[in-house]
Amino acid sequence: MIIYTVGRILQTLLVLLVISFIAFLLVATLGDPLGILLPPEASLAERQELILRLGLDQPMLGRFLHFLWGMLHGDFGLSYRTQQGVGAMIAARLPATIELAFVSLLVTLFVGVPLGIVCGVKPNSVVSRGVMLVSIAGITLPNFVVGVLLIAIFSVQLGWFPSFGRGHTVDLGGWTTGLLTVSGWQAIILPAITLAAFQVTFVIRMLRTQLLEVGQSEHIRFARARGLSERTVWFSYAMRNALLPTITMLALQLGNVIAFSVVTEGVFAWPGLGSLFLQSVQSADIPVIAIYLIFVGAVFMIINLFVELSYPLLDPRLRKGRA
Amino acid sequence: MTAPLLEVRDLSVVLSRTERDLPVLDKVSFDIAPGEVLGIVGESGAGKSMTGVAIVDLLVPPLRRSGGTITLAGDRLDRLTPRQMRRVRGKRVGFIFQDPMTSLNPVLTIGRQLTDTMRRHLPVSRSEARERAISWLTRTGLPNPARVFAAAPHELSGGQRQRVVIALALCAEPDLVIADEPTTALDVSVQAHMLQLLRDLHEETGTAMMLITHDLGVIAKMADRVAVLYAGRLIETAKTQALVTEPLHPYTAGLMQATPAPDETGVMRVRAIPGSMPGIGAAPSGCAFHPRCGRAQDICRQTPPPLADAGGRAAACYFPLHREAQP
Repeated sequence: MIIYTVGRILQTLLVLLVISFIAFLLVATLGDPLGILLPPEASLAERQELILRLGLDQPMLGRFLHFLWGMLHGDFGLSYRTQQGVGAMIAARLPATIELAFVSLLVTLFVGVPLGIVCGVKPNSVVSRGVMLVSIAGITLPNFVVGVLLIAIFSVQLGWFPSFGRGHTVDLGGWTTGLLTVSGWQAIILPAITLAAFQVTFVIRMLRTQLLEVGQSEHIRFARARGLSERTVWFSYAMRNALLPTITMLALQLGNVIAFSVVTEGVFAWPGLGSLFLQSVQSADIPVIAIYLIFVGAVFMIINLFVELSYPLLDPRLRKGRA
Repeated sequence: MTAPLLEVRDLSVVLSRTERDLPVLDKVSFDIAPGEVLGIVGESGAGKSMTGVAIVDLLVPPLRRSGGTITLAGDRLDRLTPRQMRRVRGKRVGFIFQDPMTSLNPVLTIGRQLTDTMRRHLPVSRSEARERAISWLTRTGLPNPARVFAAAPHELSGGQRQRVVIALALCAEPDLVIADEPTTALDVSVQAHMLQLLRDLHEETGTAMMLITHDLGVIAKMADRVAVLYAGRLIETAKTQALVTEPLHPYTAGLMQATPAPDETGVMRVRAIPGSMPGIGAAPSGCAFHPRCGRAQDICRQTPPPLADAGGRAAACYFPLHREAQP
């Protein structure tokens, strides 16, 4: 168990190192930091001094180690566009994205899981057929279409929710939250639903397939043959087996939600990381793009790590090293 | 003779199709007395397992019970609501599944599966259920029952798992146990132990047993009486001894010869019955066995023979063997 844990952590670190290297190559080979950071009339001596200061005369490996060293000490480089520290820029945008991901995860859980169970337990009922039909829309409609449709209906026609922004936010020691104000909640509902639309249908289909499969298995038949109630059979005996793959997929999806909320944030002008990434791409702000890349990689890897470490808790077959 | 514990009359099962229903079991009737072991034999696809599954109403669509009555100690099982049926399963009729590798829930401990079953049917507290579970694990001959109680199925061997399956089927103290090929999936070396265990528990608890198997050796060791199924019909029933020594139906005799046995010179011989059993919906007219039967006459091809009672035993054949055994 300890070996398993340590092994997973080492793997995670290795992948992060590789991602960092790719991001570093991006910074090191794209664009000309001297041309951007120095005024055009700068002298050769000034150029030379900056080259020395930025360490551009060092060999590639040395520069990479320097880059890593800086990141470990909270130095993520300077944005070409704003001349601000990249770390501070990302930190300022992070709360908006994380809150959006969190609320959309809640929507996914509270809508997707119950509907998935209904569709898996009673696949031929009217409700299940209806859900499956609607869920095709959730899978096939692109995010931005869902977002624009929701804006057209709930913002433009009905006027219930704002079509952009976060509403009023409260600063909690550096973390600006919109979840403590009414307008914040109003603002987050539409983007959260947009972001959740795909995840919900995904969870429904995943749970349904899993439950249908487990429901056919011999051990479920045997549980029925022992007279266990349908509630016990489904919720204790079948769900436990269906949960593992569903949690895996859900967690990977959470990574997606945090990482690639770009489109949804674009549609709703949500001031999160996705919008920052869009702005950086438009102005070729390589350092920000690179750090964003590393950040997304880290989020994915850490979520994966937690999922894998939680497997043995759910499935005794994975508890190695037990007598 | 005491009143039978289980009375099955004209039990029919069909495979539902949109065009027409295909018969899988055709008017099967038999009794099991309290404490009796009835063996059900036949080839794969003859309807043995189907009979057991139909009794506890666990047929999976498109299979469906289309007729007949099932009476357990005076109660009509075929008329119960699904909710009432769930109170019968486990509590009054235990079911031993064939494959111990797939019959146990892989993510729940053995103890949890046992205590859930007992607490469903018996008025026992959590700690009593635990004690009883451990006592059942002991009775089924598992070493270190307290460890098995806390173990997950994958930590046990096939034979150990089958012991757990048996404990699960018996733990709510049913009057009747249906054992569906309880030894088929096991190593030969373990099979004998498992039969001995079933025998011992049967004697200890006095439950009646319906033992479904294709293995006549198992039947000879275990069963008081035997019912032979062929293509969904019951073709012969008799006391085990009588059936083994003087089979009436040519198919039963053929089955017996198809069991490997040493001849006079000590060489193992098998004589297979020519042809194969008709599949579902493909049964010929008349007696389903006539295309493979050396004694078949015109009447066999036209009208299915009734199960004719002949002094405590019965055979569905116009021209039974061992005629001298008949009155």
